[in-house]
Amino acid sequence: MRMHPVKQVLLHVAVLVMIAFLVFPVLLLVFNSLKTQTQIFASPMGIPHGVTWDNFRTVIAGGTFLVNLRNSVIVAFSTVILAVIVTAPAGYALSRFKFRGRTAFSMWLLATQAFPGIIMVLGLFTVLKVYGLINQLPGLVIMHTSFALPFSIWLLKGYFDKIPIDLEEAARIDGCTRLRALVSIILPLSVPGLLAVATFSLLLSWNEFFFALVIMRTNESWTLPVYLARFLGSGGVVQWGPLSAAALLVTIPVFILFLLGQRYLVSGLTGGAIK
Amino acid sequence: MEEKRALPFVAPALIILCFVSLYPLVQGISRVLYSFRALTGKNVYSGLQNFVLLFRDSVFVHALLNSLVWTVTSVAAMFFVSFLLATMLNSRHLRFRRAFRTVTLIPWALPGVVVSLIWRYIFLSGGPLNTALSGLGVTYPPAWLIDPHVALWTCIVANIWMGIPFVTIMILAGLQSLEGDILEAAAIDGASYLQTQVRIVVPSIKKVILIILTLESIWTFNSFDIVFVLTKGGPANASMTLPLYAYTWAYGSQQAGYGAAIGIIMLLILLSVVVLYIREVLQ
Repeated sequence: MRMHPVKQVLLHVAVLVMIAFLVFPVLLLVFNSLKTQTQIFASPMGIPHGVTWDNFRTVIAGGTFLVNLRNSVIVAFSTVILAVIVTAPAGYALSRFKFRGRTAFSMWLLATQAFPGIIMVLGLFTVLKVYGLINQLPGLVIMHTSFALPFSIWLLKGYFDKIPIDLEEAARIDGCTRLRALVSIILPLSVPGLLAVATFSLLLSWNEFFFALVIMRTNESWTLPVYLARFLGSGGVVQWGPLSAAALLVTIPVFILFLLGQRYLVSGLTGGAIK
Repeated sequence: MEEKRALPFVAPALIILCFVSLYPLVQGISRVLYSFRALTGKNVYSGLQNFVLLFRDSVFVHALLNSLVWTVTSVAAMFFVSFLLATMLNSRHLRFRRAFRTVTLIPWALPGVVVSLIWRYIFLSGGPLNTALSGLGVTYPPAWLIDPHVALWTCIVANIWMGIPFVTIMILAGLQSLEGDILEAAAIDGASYLQTQVRIVVPSIKKVILIILTLESIWTFNSFDIVFVLTKGGPANASMTLPLYAYTWAYGSQQAGYGAAIGIIMLLILLSVVVLYIREVLQ
C-alpha cells in the first residue's frame, strides 16, 4: 500500500521534530564546551565561532579529573568482567535446569529492582565497613556488580533459551560435561548476548552516581559523575565552558562503546521481553 | 539430580546476591530501629520512634506526593511520546529508519549527571529556553529552577527526555514482533491510526508494555540524579522527592534511622508495584 505524499512528508517532519528534541540538548553541550563564558551568555544557543580548546585544557590540567577518570575506568571494567563471569552460568542454569527455588530465584531477581537505593546503601555501608572497603574502588565494584546482576541474568537467560538444546545434547552424548558444553558450545554462540551484558553493565557502572557519591568520600577516590556534580556545586558562578568540556570528556568514551554495543543490547533486552 | 547439577552454576550469583543484596537489605531495614543522638554521638535503640516521627512530618508527606506526581507523570509522558515515536519509526513509509533509530538512543548513553547538567543549563534564567521564549515575545518567562510552582515539572521534563530512548526501543521491538498483515488488514478496513493502536496494537503487545511500565515506574520512583543536580529538592522542598529526602536525612543530618524509615515506605510502595505486575503476568 502506498501512503499519500502529504502524509508521508508529515511523517518525516514529525520524526525529525522528535529527533531534534532528543539531539539538540546534546549539541548545546558540545557548543558550550567550545565557547568562552562570555560567548555562552551572549548567545546561549548559538554555534561557536572561533573555537576555543581552553575549556578542555582547564579540565585536564586542573583538579582531580585524571585521577577520577582512572577510578571510573577501573571500576567500570572490573564490573563488566565480574558481571559477565557471574551471570553466564546463572543465566544458563535458569534456562536449562528445573531446580527447586527456580521461580523464587527469578522473583528475587525482579524484586531487587525495587529495592530503594537508600536502604541498600545504608546496609552495604555496614558490610563494606567490616571489610575496610569504604572509599575503596573494590567496594564500589561490588556494589555496581550487584546492581548489574539481576538484569543481566534475566537478559542472558532469554538469550540461552533461544539456543536449541539439541546442540549440547549431541555434545554430551559424545562425553562432554555440562561445564564443557557451556564453555565450548553455548558461550561461543552467545557472544551477542554476552556483549549485551557487557554494554549494559558498562553503562550502569560508568554512569552510576548515588552510591559513588555516598561511598567515595575523598577527591582522589571520586568517580567521574561525582566529579561533575562537585564541579557544579563548587560554589561561585558556574563555569559552564569547562563544566561542559568535562561532561563531554566523561560521556565520549562510553558513548563510543555504547554505539558499538547498542545493537546487542537492544536485541538482548527486547529478546527477553518479547517472549 | 537436576538440583545438584544446577547448584554450581547458580552458586556464584547466589553468594554475591546474598552478600550484596539480601544481607544489606535486612541490615538497611534494621537501621530504622536506631536514632542518632547528637549529644553522645551514638546511635541508640529507639524502637518505632522513627516511624512515629515520619507520619507527623509534613515535608515527608509533601515529598511522598511529589514522588507520586513525579513517577506517574514521567512514566505516562514517556510512554505516550515513545509510543508515537515507535509507531513512526516502525512505519514502512519512513526513510532512513535505521539511522533514525540509532539517533533516538543517544540520551540513553549519557550519565544521569550529564543529562541533569544539560537541562540545568537549558533552564537557567538567562539560558537558551528563556532566550528563545523572549524571542517569541514572552515577556516574563518562568524561572524554571527557582519558582516553587514550576521546579518539580522542570525536573520531570528532564527525566522524560532521558527515559524516551529505552521505552521507544522496547515498544519498537514489540511492534516488530507483530504480524504485518494485521495492520494491513486494519488499514484496508479503514481503521484510523488511533483505532488501530488502541484496538489492535496495544492488546497484542500488552506483555511488553507491562514490563516497560513496571521497570520504568520503579526506576523513576528511585531516581536520584536529576532532582539532586537540578534543584536539590528546592526551593524550600518544593521539588523534594523521597530518594532525595531520605539521602538528606541519612547523610546530611546523620539520621540514618530516619532515612531508613523513608526507605522502608518506598520499599513497600515499590514491592506492591512488583506484586501487581506478577499477578497481572501470571493471570
